[in-house]
Amino acid sequence: MAKFVRVIDTERCMGCRSCLSACYMENHLTPDSPWNVMMEWETGSYPNVGRSFVTMNCMHCEHPPCKLACDAIGVKAISKNEFGVVLIDYDKCIGCQYCQAVCPYGVPQYNAKLKNLYPGQDKTPPELIAAEARHPTHRKKVKTVEKCTFCWHKLEKAVAKGETNLIGKVPEYTPSCDLVCPVGARVFGDIEDPTSKVAQWVGTGKATQLKKEFGTRPQVFYKLTGGDY
Amino acid sequence: MISHHPGEEEQSAMSLTRRTFLKGTGTLAGAACVGVPLPVLAEAAASASAKAAGDKGVKYVNTTCVHCVNFCGQRIKMEDGVIRVVYPNPDIAEYYNHGICPKGGAGPFNTYNPYRIKAPLKRTNPKKGPHEDPGWKEISWEEAFTEIADKLKKIKADNPSKLVWHHGHGKYLMGDQFPKAWCAAFGTPNVVHRTTTCEAARHVADELTWGYHAFLPDVEHSNLLINFGANYFEAEQWARWLDHAVTDARARGMKVVSVEPRLSNAGAKADQWVPIRPGTDVVMLLAMARVLMHDGLIDEEFLTNYTNAPHLVAKDGAVLTDDKGEPLVWDAVSNSAKPFTEGVTPTLAGSFTVNGKPAATAYQVLHDSLTDVTPEYAEKVTGVPAETIQSLAREFGKQAMIGSTVVIDGRKIRYRPAVIHSFRGLAAKEYGVQNWRAALIVMMLVGAPDAVGGLGLHDVYKNPDNFKPSKCEYPPKRADLQKSVYFPHSHHNVCQQVALTLLDPKAYGLPYEPEMQIFYATNRAFSTADALKQFAGYAKTYNVVIDLVLTETAGMADIVLPDLSYLECWHFAPTRWTPNSKHTAIRQPLVNAYNIPYDTWAVMWELAKRVGFQKEYVEGMNKEWKNKKVMFDPTKDYTAKEAVAVLWEDATEKPLDYAIEHGFKGKHVDTDHRYLEGVEKQFKGPGKPKMKLYADQLVGSYETIAKTVKEKKIKNLDLAYYKTALSPIPIKEHAEPTARKGVKDYPIYLMTYKRMYRNQAGNTALNPILNALGDTDENFVLINPVLAKQIGVGDGEEVRIETRAGKAQGKARITEGIRPDVVAVSYSYGHISPGFPDYAKKGIWINQALELHPDVISGMNSFNDTKCTVVKA
Repeated sequence: MAKFVRVIDTERCMGCRSCLSACYMENHLTPDSPWNVMMEWETGSYPNVGRSFVTMNCMHCEHPPCKLACDAIGVKAISKNEFGVVLIDYDKCIGCQYCQAVCPYGVPQYNAKLKNLYPGQDKTPPELIAAEARHPTHRKKVKTVEKCTFCWHKLEKAVAKGETNLIGKVPEYTPSCDLVCPVGARVFGDIEDPTSKVAQWVGTGKATQLKKEFGTRPQVFYKLTGGDY
Repeated sequence: MISHHPGEEEQSAMSLTRRTFLKGTGTLAGAACVGVPLPVLAEAAASASAKAAGDKGVKYVNTTCVHCVNFCGQRIKMEDGVIRVVYPNPDIAEYYNHGICPKGGAGPFNTYNPYRIKAPLKRTNPKKGPHEDPGWKEISWEEAFTEIADKLKKIKADNPSKLVWHHGHGKYLMGDQFPKAWCAAFGTPNVVHRTTTCEAARHVADELTWGYHAFLPDVEHSNLLINFGANYFEAEQWARWLDHAVTDARARGMKVVSVEPRLSNAGAKADQWVPIRPGTDVVMLLAMARVLMHDGLIDEEFLTNYTNAPHLVAKDGAVLTDDKGEPLVWDAVSNSAKPFTEGVTPTLAGSFTVNGKPAATAYQVLHDSLTDVTPEYAEKVTGVPAETIQSLAREFGKQAMIGSTVVIDGRKIRYRPAVIHSFRGLAAKEYGVQNWRAALIVMMLVGAPDAVGGLGLHDVYKNPDNFKPSKCEYPPKRADLQKSVYFPHSHHNVCQQVALTLLDPKAYGLPYEPEMQIFYATNRAFSTADALKQFAGYAKTYNVVIDLVLTETAGMADIVLPDLSYLECWHFAPTRWTPNSKHTAIRQPLVNAYNIPYDTWAVMWELAKRVGFQKEYVEGMNKEWKNKKVMFDPTKDYTAKEAVAVLWEDATEKPLDYAIEHGFKGKHVDTDHRYLEGVEKQFKGPGKPKMKLYADQLVGSYETIAKTVKEKKIKNLDLAYYKTALSPIPIKEHAEPTARKGVKDYPIYLMTYKRMYRNQAGNTALNPILNALGDTDENFVLINPVLAKQIGVGDGEEVRIETRAGKAQGKARITEGIRPDVVAVSYSYGHISPGFPDYAKKGIWINQALELHPDVISGMNSFNDTKCTVVKA
């Protein structure tokens, strides 16, 4: 069975935020509830200065604390499927925000309001696409929590067609954030496929996971530039 | 898979059925009643009824972005006729961009924007100024065309030069060939593009040195890249190739040194940051040249055979020539001065007596001029430690591997894997030409031009006139004073000068007073230095602005016309080449979001018809586009799509359907074209013209300027200043811009830069996706903690910047990544237009505070020379 992971090479990342823009377009951004964010910081002091660019969507943890909490209170709105993708069912979500409280990465986004993209203006044609015409993960519901889905609406099509071997290898089966990167800093695919880029980058690229001390076992790996003083 | 609009097959108005025609919206039906050309309406009507006509389901359309001048190939997903997501076109990756930037990705909201201009507007408030509310009232297309055509007719009958056409983004939408043909047919020379707000000085430095412009560092093979302030990870031309090419080269082991006052994103991914005082780079480069010369790290063979380094220069600075005008060298064989022909061995260095008068080789002149420009001197001027300058120069000389060759595809080619790159870091300065010339000189010293791993030059010596002195025209014919005595080598227009000429045309000897201006897709007034003067100048004329949104420049219009966006138009798209490829591309319409019946193509067509120069316009198109086989027919009516078909078919010998399906056609370039058709072919050896280490044509230009000033009694040109500015080699005075003189009370250097989330045209400020990327909806004053502490300001607190030109105020962002004597503010923020909502006006408009002292060689706006005070607000 395939396990889908992402590897982000922060040495290559140039901090353009195209992966953020792609996610917001692909996934019908709910303003103020982004599924992908950029963290930038500096190290050192003048003139010995470094700058780091690190993006973060959802870790799709092997042991997701969000699911743990949601199951524990009996709501069971969060699932983790056979490929490791962690998804929220907006119809089951009660908006308690426990998942937001327990995620070490700050991933779940609670949408107190569903605002239009242009404040004070009518919805634009993309916003007017009816719920029935959207994938369930794009049928945003107020006072629920939403987050990165590994673009499950794209991967699901590969599964349906029996083409999971092409996930991360062809544009239509690649999460859009990984697809648009101008400098090839992000790869996605099946870590159990030895020919995949993710297997190579994780195995020989000195990749690591963030906040390992929480025991979440993320399915997103990072090649970090190192240095944090 | 392509998006197909049934109506577009109907090229001829006659085959448009009455039923389809009347199906359009009220606007279209109304426009149709008053004689708007039917082919235009056919396209618009078809688009408007696209949903009904069968755009159900998912479709992918290949087209070309134009948020910036990279022109990335894109594949755009449509769902039921709605633009949904923008992806890179995977097929373009081997020819140009591998991905796309956030502007391209957010492109659908450049089109789906409720603040777009949807109908022609007329001004009711006669007062024009940056803070005036124009009092727009909507008028019909017929009213707009009638009024504009009437004005044009009057001007054409009086003196057509009184019309000035401006474009910025517009050039990259439809191509400047159409406005040039249109204006030539109308009879005005005044077509003005924005290059002097971009990188004109860099182009002119190239042209003076090797006879054309544009280049790319051969990073695939370089081992050391010294970047003087180019920001290929946030901005700049060619960024979508440089980004992955540099990233791959770094992974391979290429070292990058970033010389810039602020640690940019490009600097963040470099191996070494050299924080230099703004505007002093020329001295660092000259000091590096001195180190190379004194250490013998020079490519004698290259200098002698490809450049004018051996040419003999007289004491007055002119190059000695024989009676046929051929430059003289000192022949080591005959020990005499001769032209460099077969059998002659030019001497590189030395002083000689020629016809009883002293002369020295250009190399010697350069060498001697650098006597005092030691690394220690450079440290005082630039703030860069002498040791750093020295070791960087030596490393550059060593990495250049002078004398070595490499075999590629069976060709033995010079190998110099050390290169210098720059964009606005050197160019956007008062002495921009001299700055980049200094970098070219350093590269000539080691033989890097057109070497493997060095600097790949584009179309070398395509324009031999660049090697000649300027005619220094006076009186000027053009309102921007292009190539006049004022800006002798301003080959790329002088966009900011028009407004200044308008304020006092007689002062510049302009024999007429412009009365009307048309602005196509440019926010010119907002985007230059000393910006308030631009508004003052534009208030003097009758203005028509064609744009997507009500920018500050639109606020100066008498009539505003809506434009269609790049996702709604047919364009023959400009493209970017790379060292090993080129491609031809189009843009095709995906929607017509607000049912606007005219794009700029159709507007120009209609006006040419009404004013009576349509035939000449079409004839001019063939001239400007240089079509070879498929020509424009002056007896025919053209829609934009038909025009694109002509250009596409002529360029590719393929039908338009190919472009509609694929978006582009690319080809790879062979090794000969990549390395052997430039300096190797044009400059190498006896009897050939020579690359100019020493820009002797500037000596000739200055002589003509001095003569003209005297004869025509020109009062507003400072000859001493021009003598310094037009020096044939860069000198240390070029690190002392006018904005730094007599400014004791302004201790801090003010520099500007560009962020990824905005472009000059202005509409990006409204894009909700671009504004949602994290602190991207506003800009800040970047300030070092030492300076911040001195003035008592914390992160996020308001600071006020004051210069001799103006003021600006905004939030401080404390960063270690900037020199303590410098503050930096990005541009394209701080909009003030009443046509923008408040959320699109956040941040600081820095342009009004920038002093303007143009580079007089090229006409380039200076953006990074100003000094300021910074206080807690």
